[in-house]
Amino acid sequence: MIRVWLIARREYLERIRTRGFIITTVMIPLIMAGFIFGSIFLSSKASFVTEIAIVSSDTQLALDLKSELQQGQGGSLTQPSLDPRKPTIIVDAMAVAPDTKAILDQEIDSDDLDGYLWITPAATPGARPTFTFTPRSSTGETSIKDTLAAALSTVLLREQLAHRGIVAADANTMLQPVEIVAAKGSTHEDRESAEVSVGVLFFLMYLVIMLYGMNVARSVIEEKTSRIFEVMLATVRPEAMMAGKILGVGSVGLSQVGIWLAVALLLSGRSLVLHLGGDDIHLALTAPQIIFFFVYFILGYLFYSSIAAAFGAMTNSEHELQQLNMFLVMPLIFCFLTLGTVLLTPDSTLSRVLALIPPFTPLLMYLRVSLGHPAPWEIALSILLTSASIYGIVWVTSRIYRIGVLMYGKRPNLPEILRWLKYS
Amino acid sequence: MPIVQLNHVRKVYDTKVAVEDLSFTIEPGTMFGLLGPNGSGKTSTIRMMIGITVPDSGSVSLFDKPFVRKMLARVGYLPEERGLYKKMKVLDQLVFLGQLHGLTASEANQRSRFWCEKLEITEAISKKTEDLSKGMQQKIQFIATLLHDPELIIMDEPFSGLDPINANLLMDALADLRREGKAVLFSTHRMDQVEKLCDNIALIHRGHLILSGSMTEIKSSYPRNRVHIHFEGDDSFLQDPSIESLKRYSGYAEIKLRPSPTLADDAQSLLAHAIRVARISRFEVTEPTLEDIFIEKVREALPIANGGELSMAQLDQPKESDLDD
Repeated sequence: MIRVWLIARREYLERIRTRGFIITTVMIPLIMAGFIFGSIFLSSKASFVTEIAIVSSDTQLALDLKSELQQGQGGSLTQPSLDPRKPTIIVDAMAVAPDTKAILDQEIDSDDLDGYLWITPAATPGARPTFTFTPRSSTGETSIKDTLAAALSTVLLREQLAHRGIVAADANTMLQPVEIVAAKGSTHEDRESAEVSVGVLFFLMYLVIMLYGMNVARSVIEEKTSRIFEVMLATVRPEAMMAGKILGVGSVGLSQVGIWLAVALLLSGRSLVLHLGGDDIHLALTAPQIIFFFVYFILGYLFYSSIAAAFGAMTNSEHELQQLNMFLVMPLIFCFLTLGTVLLTPDSTLSRVLALIPPFTPLLMYLRVSLGHPAPWEIALSILLTSASIYGIVWVTSRIYRIGVLMYGKRPNLPEILRWLKYS
Repeated sequence: MPIVQLNHVRKVYDTKVAVEDLSFTIEPGTMFGLLGPNGSGKTSTIRMMIGITVPDSGSVSLFDKPFVRKMLARVGYLPEERGLYKKMKVLDQLVFLGQLHGLTASEANQRSRFWCEKLEITEAISKKTEDLSKGMQQKIQFIATLLHDPELIIMDEPFSGLDPINANLLMDALADLRREGKAVLFSTHRMDQVEKLCDNIALIHRGHLILSGSMTEIKSSYPRNRVHIHFEGDDSFLQDPSIESLKRYSGYAEIKLRPSPTLADDAQSLLAHAIRVARISRFEVTEPTLEDIFIEKVREALPIANGGELSMAQLDQPKESDLDD
């Protein structure tokens, strides 16, 4: 035991002193912050100001539509919304003249206009007019069309209501969209904050598990090529070496995540509030979320780094390792692909099943615990299943490790590895 | 009390027999040479002695008791392939390895400094291992092996890559340890080095023991049928009928005499013949070298099917003898 401790301590101290550790500790949050702020910046820059023209012989309809479109924005014309989902629409209502179409087409060509809506009055009275929308390009076409369609139906409805003698004020009340206020639970903003915070931690967990898992494999290969094993195995059992290495490297990962979280929590007062889409998104993490983050991070790291240790023992060079790394990265990438599903529906059957499969548990169950409502037995079961599979993996990999570290030359094939498992 | 005792040890890797029915003992206060060409089973044997692998059959005893891992605290092992953490500082490295062998940090620190002084590399103490020359790294490794004052010291090719001055420094250190009663096991394919150093030897080839015993006994059991002669001028005396085979170099020949009951006289008459035709600067009658004995033994041990001319290349021997005087 004392040797495991010595090995882990050496591994930890040697790693934490390197420039690489300091660089990744500083750079990864910077890069992530860069991504987040960059995307906010870009989305605000690409201010979705859409300029369209409404052409109609019925001036009243055109003006109604204009005011509806602008009111529908809920804001003034001068200040474009930061939310990319609600483009600001600048509307210009105009009457039909013989050369209108030509002028508008020209404006579209010269990028002065994003599109125009042509309203052809109905042939028979009482029927609906025809609406033709000519966009500049395909970009954003659907969203503008949707906005236009919604505004149009409101306008037409109001017109109909007015026809039937309903006062405009009453009509407005009737047309008021229904708002449901959540009586219990988080508000929309809180939920969004939690999603972003948990998403960031999810990404961190993914990154650190992958990074440090590979680190374990790489350092096994390094010790193999420098023949340190020959020296070490004269005093230490290979199992102790593997344990020391995994614990030492893992502690470095934990320290790194710990530093990040500590700094993030320090900075996240009211001062660090990201203005994201006009909503207040802040680092919103509860104590259980942080505790479970570490629980699942440790499980995930142990799971993947034990496999990585075996991969390192089986290969002789980084090049050979890369071919095996696929098996390590694939499940992690799969988790990443399901991120959206689990984030939106953390308590669906699919999410519940996926989160119980050991390779996915650390990342996905963490999401469920943070954002969904898994039953306590589900949490317990996930931890139990993952721990059991870690035990199994360590059993297998320590056997591969014990023999692999003394094997140089060609990479063993599968039957050979299976035979290794039988050696006592 | 023998320090090491191997009894009919056998080890098979998959289909390859690495060691077959190997037995020998090493006594305290002696140097033991484990000899054989590359791939003959030396490293496999050592690995079984220190519990990295377990013999398939037979037994290994250290310090007069069946092997248990706890004994490793009393063993120092210098592997053939040197292994150090490149990025670590020399002192940190030595202290770490010392602690793994059960020393406290301060003991390890103290002894590292002592040994660095003894081997004249104090200037390396504060450096990173990767900044040291190969010879210096080897000394560090050597120190790491001895730090915990082992009673059994196992050295796999300890002098490879060292210049003569440093090699002598290490040899002297090993001789001191032998005097203190430690047992030293040498594994090498450099027979010439062993000849000077070892008290006892075991020769193995393809996992089989082909010769073992004390150096002096082995040597004296062979007839003094080798003649080394340095000469100038006519070399027609090399056609002498008493010569069975010879290796010719410029101005120098190594001669093997034909077996005969009057070997000593044959040598004298060969000298007389040589003096008549050439100028002789040196003439020596001696036993075969360990290398010669080894080649002879391997040839005897080889099955007929494998027979034929056994070359040095086949034995994977370095051809340094070609370069000697």
